[in-house]
Amino acid sequence: MSETELAQELRSNVGEMALDVEQPSRNNIFVTIRPEDITKVVRIVWDGMQSRFAIVTGIDVPGGIEILYHFVFDEKDTVVTLKTRVAKPFPEIESITPIIPGAEWIEREVHDLLGVNFRNHPRLERLILHDNWPEGVYPLRKDFKPEDAK
Amino acid sequence: MNIWLVILTFVLATLGTVVLGLLSKWVDRKVTARIHWRVGPPWYQTFADVLKLLGKETIVPATAQKWTFLSAPIIGFAGAAVAASILWGANLTHASFVGDLIVVVYVLTLPSLAIIVGGMASGSPIAALGASREMKLVFAFELPMILALVTVILKAQGTLALDGILDYQASNGMFIGSVSGVIAFVVAVLSAQAKLGLVPFDIAEAETEIIAGPFTEYSGPSLAVFYLMKAVLLAVLPILLVTVFWGGFRGWGLLWGTLAYVLVLVLFVLIRNTNPRLRIDQALKFFWFGLTPVSILAVVLAGLGY
Amino acid sequence: MSLTMWGLKKSPWVFHVNTGACNNCDIEVVNLLTPRFDVERFGIQLVGSPRHADALVVTGICTRQCMPRLQEVYRQTPKPCVVFIIGVCACTGGIFHDAYHRWGRVDDAIREVDPNAIIAYVPGCPPKPEAMALGVLKALEML
Repeated sequence: MSETELAQELRSNVGEMALDVEQPSRNNIFVTIRPEDITKVVRIVWDGMQSRFAIVTGIDVPGGIEILYHFVFDEKDTVVTLKTRVAKPFPEIESITPIIPGAEWIEREVHDLLGVNFRNHPRLERLILHDNWPEGVYPLRKDFKPEDAK
Repeated sequence: MNIWLVILTFVLATLGTVVLGLLSKWVDRKVTARIHWRVGPPWYQTFADVLKLLGKETIVPATAQKWTFLSAPIIGFAGAAVAASILWGANLTHASFVGDLIVVVYVLTLPSLAIIVGGMASGSPIAALGASREMKLVFAFELPMILALVTVILKAQGTLALDGILDYQASNGMFIGSVSGVIAFVVAVLSAQAKLGLVPFDIAEAETEIIAGPFTEYSGPSLAVFYLMKAVLLAVLPILLVTVFWGGFRGWGLLWGTLAYVLVLVLFVLIRNTNPRLRIDQALKFFWFGLTPVSILAVVLAGLGY
Repeated sequence: MSLTMWGLKKSPWVFHVNTGACNNCDIEVVNLLTPRFDVERFGIQLVGSPRHADALVVTGICTRQCMPRLQEVYRQTPKPCVVFIIGVCACTGGIFHDAYHRWGRVDDAIREVDPNAIIAYVPGCPPKPEAMALGVLKALEML
């Protein structure tokens, strides 16, 4: 199948920076990488393999905050997701906005709601929370209590 | 002339035209609803609208020029009312003077000016934008309208009095029956569509684009006066067109005039319902480079006697 | 009943405010103007400016950012006016009752500005257009 070709291509391009490459279904490939390698892998997958940057998502899991970068290969009908995990309580990762300018706002939103600091982001300000929202309270973390936000 | 008679005529003509205008607005909404396969409002709807507006409070924005803001609708309404009384005077009695056609055209620019001044005095950027659009639209449609009326004047052998135009049509046949008359009538209908602020030329009050345009900050009784002004204009413009093209309410009598009035009104409504709205630059191009040459052609044909 | 009150009942002009809704209720509100339900026969018109409105149709949970704006819109509506709160999210919060970005109930926000506001509730997710039309007519009868 051509999708497995894509998974093998990814394995060979990303090389030893890919801790794991799994394909749970025909249209989804998950590549687990270390947070330090994010800019290099994004260059390979977006720039080198010519995919389309879709979105960044984040979720609070017991081991830290998992940040997922989704890239779409339209002609192959596949979504390739780069999975990284950064440690709480002060998660930090390199910003991909210098490479992909369109990632600016979604990284601001992940910063607002999950508290991830993106290094070298051109403008890491509040995006979607209210101006009076207290600093340091991140609503999408599992330990968020509504009383903190009054 | 007895001044009280003049005042009485003015008041009666204004009240009659207000009622006629509100009923014409209802005809507009009912025909539109029917075209949409809907039921539409009952006949007293526009009267209820006006009564309701008179009962609300008037809010003047803090950044507005208060007296200009409040007096603009009154000036616009006064202009439309004076035009109505001149037209009714010429049609029903013979009260007409040389140049009253020019006075009617002149006085009918007051409603557009009132919209512009009111919008500019509102102190709101949306109202200012709507007022500037109305200014550009007035630049566009005044010229073809005046040229269409020049056609009528030429065909009536140069008389500038409405009385003379009506007498000429009574003895020589309606102007709509000649080639230049038809062309001038089409030009006049399209220019009137722009003056009334109906689609495709409702650019000033483009509801889906700039909220309510120049009327955004008006509320309560001042909005009611603007509403009445638009209603009177909706009655006056068809009466003007019937007077200069269809022989007025004399000649073949009140019945024929009424039929012609309804025809012109329904023409406005049909054009309104079958066309999308134009951009302001498209409207300017249409009036200057489309209708103006056509109306010049009509003037030339009228001069040659066709 | 005075003439102006008769006018108010026969010709309520409506302004629509979305304070953070998922748009389902908004679609149903706009449905009312289509030929199938046709509320224009009751004189109801959708106006663009709150200064022209007699009735505010409010949908959505009231987010923190939207609360002062909703109050400003209510202040700009000339009295007498009615507020219609459409949808369960606007009435009580619905499934978003404990959401972190919610300020509170829409009617609390309006009663902060005007304790004597006339408010009518039409619950549902989304309420059927027939229910909304019935709610509007009942409220107008009680005016």
